Amino acid sequence: MAVTGEPLGSEPVIATEAMSRRRFVVRALAVVGGLIAAVVAIPVAAFGTAPGWQSKVPARVISTSVVPTLRSNEWTSVGKVADYEVGIPTYVVVERDVVDGWVQESAPIGVHVVRQDDARAIVFDPHCTHLGCPLAWSAGAGSFVCPCHGGSFDTAGQRVSGPPPRPMVQYETKVTDGEIFIGALPEGA
Amino acid sequence: MRRIGAWFDERLGVYSVVTGFLDRRIPGNIGWFHTLGSATLFLLVVQIVTGIALSLSYVPSPDHAYESILYIDQTPFGALVRGVHHWSAGLLVLCLGLHTLRVFIWGAYRYPRELSWMIGAFLFLVVLGFAFTGYLLPWDQKAYWATVVGTNIAGSAPIIGGAVIGLLRGGEQLGAVTLARFYGIHVWVLPAALLVLVGIHLFGVVRQGIAASPRTKPLVEPDPELDRRENYEREHEAEKAIGKPFWAAIFKDVVVAAVVLAIVFALALVVGATLEAPANPNSTDYVPRPEWYFLDMFQLLWYFTGEQEPLLIFLIFTIGAAVFVLVPFLDRGRARHPRQRPIAMALVSVTVVAVVGLTYLGATGTPAGVVTVPPTEGMTDQELRGLTVYNEQGCTACHQIHGVGGHTGPDLSRAGFRWEEADIRRQIVTPKNEKMPAYDGLSQEQLDDLVTFLISLK
Repeated sequence: MAVTGEPLGSEPVIATEAMSRRRFVVRALAVVGGLIAAVVAIPVAAFGTAPGWQSKVPARVISTSVVPTLRSNEWTSVGKVADYEVGIPTYVVVERDVVDGWVQESAPIGVHVVRQDDARAIVFDPHCTHLGCPLAWSAGAGSFVCPCHGGSFDTAGQRVSGPPPRPMVQYETKVTDGEIFIGALPEGA
Repeated sequence: MRRIGAWFDERLGVYSVVTGFLDRRIPGNIGWFHTLGSATLFLLVVQIVTGIALSLSYVPSPDHAYESILYIDQTPFGALVRGVHHWSAGLLVLCLGLHTLRVFIWGAYRYPRELSWMIGAFLFLVVLGFAFTGYLLPWDQKAYWATVVGTNIAGSAPIIGGAVIGLLRGGEQLGAVTLARFYGIHVWVLPAALLVLVGIHLFGVVRQGIAASPRTKPLVEPDPELDRRENYEREHEAEKAIGKPFWAAIFKDVVVAAVVLAIVFALALVVGATLEAPANPNSTDYVPRPEWYFLDMFQLLWYFTGEQEPLLIFLIFTIGAAVFVLVPFLDRGRARHPRQRPIAMALVSVTVVAVVGLTYLGATGTPAGVVTVPPTEGMTDQELRGLTVYNEQGCTACHQIHGVGGHTGPDLSRAGFRWEEADIRRQIVTPKNEKMPAYDGLSQEQLDDLVTFLISLK
């Protein structure tokens, strides 16, 4: 273990014939060992990285944040159109049937609802498109304000100030019989 | 005792190895600064031991993670073990940072220790990975929101950003899969990487010997006839000749380890490991803030805006990490003494000032959680109503009053002294600065109350 001044890798001289046989054995071992390691490593690495290469988020030169919200593809009511004031965002939390890995459950999901008229409403996911911090509606500012880096958005979800690179994320929505329904979030949003 | 020892040594033959290790000569001037490396190693061991203990009662599932932490805290010594794990993690980052700084200033990454530096740099990144994945495990508010932000920062990588988010979160969303992945990475993937890298790092330290303290003039004049290795050997042998045996240097390491342990235990017992409210993905009034060692990066994100911003973040962090790892190849001079390396010293000073400054700004900015400015004595009813408007409208996100609030906008602690009433009113409703949203939706009464409150601050 003591450090000697010898150059690294110095070794006694071995007869040439023995050395070439040794080199052959070592190389053969490296090849066989490498193959064995690959047989184990490839499925392990593929399993571990599957969520990466299966990602539904499109490859973008300028990647943006992805909202962390648990997803659902069902239509879920967020209440009657008449219960909302036109142009004034309201935060509501609705129960949705979500799939979270191996868990299927009914989970509370928060959304900002902005009624436009009797037949239309925009429903926003409440996460900033900068880094995903929670967006609260500030009536005084007339905008959604992010507490992390000062980003803000107007009632149409367009950026007003701060670093967010794109508008707020909207749910697929429909109004049926005076009731507002939300569907899926856009894939990769 | 002696006979038992002899019995074992006959079978293991380890005695000569240990004495050889202890008696090997090291250069002189190996002092207190060199204990930073051993303190880091010591804290890593503490992390592993306490981490194994915590894993006995922790469940990585959103349904049970928070409750299992509460359970740990109620179990005898549970709160202490968790506190030690938490605080030694923070101290580990600090010791590791100082150890890195020491090695840089000493120029100890020079030939033949380039690989030790690179392995060390990767170890630094692994430790940050530990911190990032460890954070989520309690599944409290801080954990959840810091992970939302952290995974999104990692996901700002061009082209592969989406894949990176998928890889980290186990999908687009942040939930059960994410927690299980973070746990697996925290307790299996990173420790495996850590053991391999620490093994190589320490092997390098023993094999190459500890680098001598830098000298402005070498002990032995380099001989141009000899090659680099031979010249290095002559110099290092000369250093060792006037040096000391390794055992003579260990005492300082033990002292520092004991002090570090005392600090960790004191913090664990007095302050304990924090646990916020359970993670609530639907709270809109929570202000996410990372642990102190990520505050500098978090604060940096204030200063970039626009569509190119994610690309800039990615480039800064990636280039920063690459430069860090490749230091021995970017700085190829021969001199090791700081006085002979003015550019390297200037760059490291700028880095240290930037890290400390950004951390300070982040730490004194808006704290995590729901931030409100408290009322003070002697305020009129209208001023109190104004304060309520101030807190409700989220002014604290960007403005500070007597140390409470953010740094983006001007400090309002003495607003009434600095500005006229009319100017304040105009600035609120029609701000000149693009960074501030126009608060033109306030009622006349709210605006009057708010302005009255602000001009009362002198």
